Amino acid sequence: MRLAGTPLDLDALIEETLDPRSGALVVFSGTVRNHHEGRDVVTLSYSAYAPLAEKLIREIELETVARFGVHHCRVVHRTGALGIGEAAIYAVVRAAHRREAFAAAQYAVDRVKHAVPIWKEEFYADGGSAFVSGCCIAHEEKAA
Amino acid sequence: MDVLIDCYGVTERLAGGPAHALRLPAGASIADALAALAARSVDLARVLPGCACAIGDAIVPRTRALAGGERIALLPPVSGG
Repeated sequence: MRLAGTPLDLDALIEETLDPRSGALVVFSGTVRNHHEGRDVVTLSYSAYAPLAEKLIREIELETVARFGVHHCRVVHRTGALGIGEAAIYAVVRAAHRREAFAAAQYAVDRVKHAVPIWKEEFYADGGSAFVSGCCIAHEEKAA
Repeated sequence: MDVLIDCYGVTERLAGGPAHALRLPAGASIADALAALAARSVDLARVLPGCACAIGDAIVPRTRALAGGERIALLPPVSGG
């Protein structure tokens, strides 16, 4: 599963991708911060359209492996209510060397942020809330 | 024919709920469904141009013809990560 409604398990991803060919392990963790555009954030909630999100994250993993020649790329994204400091996303890349591992991890995270149907709603200290404005994915339409 | 629109992200708030049944003429497309939805809410109509539509695990173009009973997911701009 690429979406998880409970706290993300980094150890499982590390274990799953163990590979004697790999000399580099890069882990990116996106964590919930307590501010956004000058407002104090107290909590947030991620929701997703799971059928497409699961498929797209798997495609991004495969595309990242092929594009950068890395050994493994795994991405998981959290859904539901998250507190400050909690992990919203992990991207784990293993490769022979660090250079392609760093590049691949950055690419995978960027693609997930730009293309996968996941939405962040922030809840503020002043009692308000808002969905964070994001990236339009309508342009990814292909002929059915 | 009847179809169901499942609203995600901000569209759920703007539409006043997650699921919306629409009755459309036979041969209607995704674009027709969105036009019917836009007529229900000015605020929702404003964000529809930036939304993608999906059926199952695929994004579908607005020209796609609908069949009765289909569910269309309405996907506003994404903000994961």
